[in-house]
Amino acid sequence: MKSILFLGTSSGAGKTTLDAAFCRYLARQGIKVAPFKGSNLSLNSYVTLGGEEIGMGQAFQAWASGLEPTGDMNPVLLKPAGNGRMQVILRGKPYMDIDRNNAMDRETVMQKACESYDKLVEEFDAVVCEGSGSPVELNLIKTDMANVGMMRARNVTSILVADIERGGVFAAIYGTWLLLPEDVRPLMKGFVINRFRGDASILGDGIEKIEKLTGMRCFGVVPYETLKFPEEDSMSEVGGALGNGDIHEELVKNLDRLIDSAIEAGVDLQGIYELMLE
Amino acid sequence: MKCIKKKVAEELEAGNIRMNHSCPYHPSHFVGQNCTFCYCPFYPCEDPRFGHFIETGRPDKVWSCEECLFIHRHFLVEFALPKIKERRLQPDDHEGMMEIFHEAVEKLWRPGKAIMVVGATSDAGKSMTVAALGRIMLRKGYLCAPFKSQNMSLNSRVTAKGHEIAMVQMLQAQAMGLTTPDYHMNPILLKPKGNTESQVMVEGKPFGDYDVPGYYNDFVPGPGKEIVKRNVDYLKNRYDYVIMEGAGSPAEINIYDKDIANMRAAELADADCILVVNVEWGGSFAYAIGTVELLPPEDRKRIKGIILNNVRGDPEKMREGADELARRCGLPVMGIIPHADVQLPQEDSEAFRGVKTKGNGSMRIAVVKLPRIANFTDLDPLYTEDTTIVFADCPEDITTADAIVIPGTKNTVDDYKWLVSTGIADAIKSMKGKVPILGICGGYQMMGAEIRDPKGIEGKVPGNYKGLGLFNNISYFEEYDKRIIRDKAELVTGEGEVEGYEIHMGMSDVKEKPLFNITNFGRKGEVEGSFREDEMIYGTYIHGVLDKPAFRKKFLSLVKVRGEKPAEGMQTVDDYDKFVDQNLDKLADVFEKGLDMKAFMKIMGVEE
Repeated sequence: MKSILFLGTSSGAGKTTLDAAFCRYLARQGIKVAPFKGSNLSLNSYVTLGGEEIGMGQAFQAWASGLEPTGDMNPVLLKPAGNGRMQVILRGKPYMDIDRNNAMDRETVMQKACESYDKLVEEFDAVVCEGSGSPVELNLIKTDMANVGMMRARNVTSILVADIERGGVFAAIYGTWLLLPEDVRPLMKGFVINRFRGDASILGDGIEKIEKLTGMRCFGVVPYETLKFPEEDSMSEVGGALGNGDIHEELVKNLDRLIDSAIEAGVDLQGIYELMLE
Repeated sequence: MKCIKKKVAEELEAGNIRMNHSCPYHPSHFVGQNCTFCYCPFYPCEDPRFGHFIETGRPDKVWSCEECLFIHRHFLVEFALPKIKERRLQPDDHEGMMEIFHEAVEKLWRPGKAIMVVGATSDAGKSMTVAALGRIMLRKGYLCAPFKSQNMSLNSRVTAKGHEIAMVQMLQAQAMGLTTPDYHMNPILLKPKGNTESQVMVEGKPFGDYDVPGYYNDFVPGPGKEIVKRNVDYLKNRYDYVIMEGAGSPAEINIYDKDIANMRAAELADADCILVVNVEWGGSFAYAIGTVELLPPEDRKRIKGIILNNVRGDPEKMREGADELARRCGLPVMGIIPHADVQLPQEDSEAFRGVKTKGNGSMRIAVVKLPRIANFTDLDPLYTEDTTIVFADCPEDITTADAIVIPGTKNTVDDYKWLVSTGIADAIKSMKGKVPILGICGGYQMMGAEIRDPKGIEGKVPGNYKGLGLFNNISYFEEYDKRIIRDKAELVTGEGEVEGYEIHMGMSDVKEKPLFNITNFGRKGEVEGSFREDEMIYGTYIHGVLDKPAFRKKFLSLVKVRGEKPAEGMQTVDDYDKFVDQNLDKLADVFEKGLDMKAFMKIMGVEE
């Protein structure tokens, strides 16, 4: 296996950014890495050189990987149009509009998504995938593509990104693990706690307990940073500022800062890399 | 005593008058109270569940029962009054009266039931759930009290007796129809000072400053637990229900045994719990089951139901997932509550959440976004007007505004330094005389000529600072002391009255014309605030100064939009308090619709 999937405990848990940081971390070591998100629900999109529309998050992750974004990096993009209507972009091109009475053929779409994934795996040394929202929305699991969908289709090893900012982080990790269907649960090998302010040693007991309960490993606690990144989803809050330079370079510089502070805080990025090679 | 007996005789003569709407103090305790026994025929009952002895300095103690609610319940009057008449008891037959009292207590009094709303996260909607459930119970005729053992907030209010508690508990008390909320409802209030320490308020008064380890290792195992117990017991003795609120998540397993705000408080009060999860950010099912499953079994069994809160879109879409969650947790999902579109004071400041502006009315009002902004609910009434509120963090926000408000702060000295370093101080000075400027509390202190902190009580280091110089006042921090008092006042210029409260470290030497005459009983002749009418500069210590229309309308009438007066005729709110009350009703409506009321009432111990 040379891919890994970043899942999240909620929307805005920090998947997009940590995924990008990890892409950048690998790229800095000269590893040929590409980002991937099976299915993305966003109105914030980017058009590739090839004229394909993909989620902004994947474009950002592509820059972090030192690549030009391509359609395969986000084969399914769902654009809400209000009143329960949604435009489906498949491999960068409008595919169909769905609504209450008009569902898409999940099998066909998932198939295409997997083809894109396979192409990336073939072409690159590492593929860093991003999940969507929480993987255990009980009313959505059946039709899920980006989370449980990819885990089932391609046995992708996963890491859970847990946002501590609003509290309840241990419940969120344990609850996600509990509700993950048993066939894919063993694929979720570890977790990262994100956006922590203060002295992380206070979390020690709690982390140990969760590791014991779930058998997952904690790969570290990422400190809170007010760095500006593209907004994938209007739920997240913005902070920090971008410098005056080229926007791509500034974003990547911010990622470098995030990587440095994560490593300084003891986040085991190398461990995550080793996990994906297992 | 004779006088009391005479009054009781008159009351017995008048019979059950139920509510006395003509009384200027009505309702003096709670909405729907019985006013028959304004003077108690059982006085002094000396039952510690209903009152206490107070020291007077003289040898004999005096029995105080002004906080007794039992005597104001309809069922008590309906029970006692006929019995007194039947037995032809005279008011001075204390023994006979006490017989009836004991019968009444035996038959009618039960300690209240405590239930607790815990949340899977901060911002789960606990506070609003408590308020909504309280209003629902009030409408059903029950007497409820809110309770939050420990609240961390810079948004506090002052009770009628001069105690400081969190704003949210006051709001919840209002939802429950209580007119005189007291410190028992929030006995521990933590006010972060902006660095690593918090000021700990116990039972409404400053207790000491603690850092995080000090609080958890010294305060909690020391006085903390006992404080929670005695205050929740006090409320249980007086109310049908104590609706408690947890803090953050109850499943923070790393500090589990040091947490007195959640399951320990539930245990001390013997409360059944309802878990509220905010659906908005996703992952709500995981948060819910994770919270339940991480609790030790003896605490887990207190959780009786789950509420999925703040659902945007069609709540029915959640149903299938909710059923699955209920099955997995072995607990009912007793409500799927849609997002409630109500305007109520917020626990956390919008300004803290990266919101830049609020509203899109024609008057552009810059509210200085002080880093340690406190009592920001002062500003809420402005949202109901034709305004755009700009949380100003740069000089441009100030110089483009039609009016400027400098709000309160937990730390006047440090925030004043920030004001100077950002250039906002100079911007405000440059607007003097051009637009109306209002300073409240800490903001008022900053408007003076000088801020003196010779002992470093407010700032970390001693120092004296030149203020904005809009007023000639001098504010000083001499002692570690705090003024906490409620004010009623009238504008000296005659436009009407305001009502609010003062909470401040530091005092001011006022060298300006006063803005208000204090009208509280026994404080005749006191004045408050400063103003310069010709320069449109106003300053006051009174939080809530904008709640009543008199001063708010006066201040906003001075605002010119790009040099023009704004158009008249916009529908605005008059009394902010009434507006809040209407919104509490709206909130309760949303909950009542989304709740499985049968399941909820079963938790409350009522079979309908």
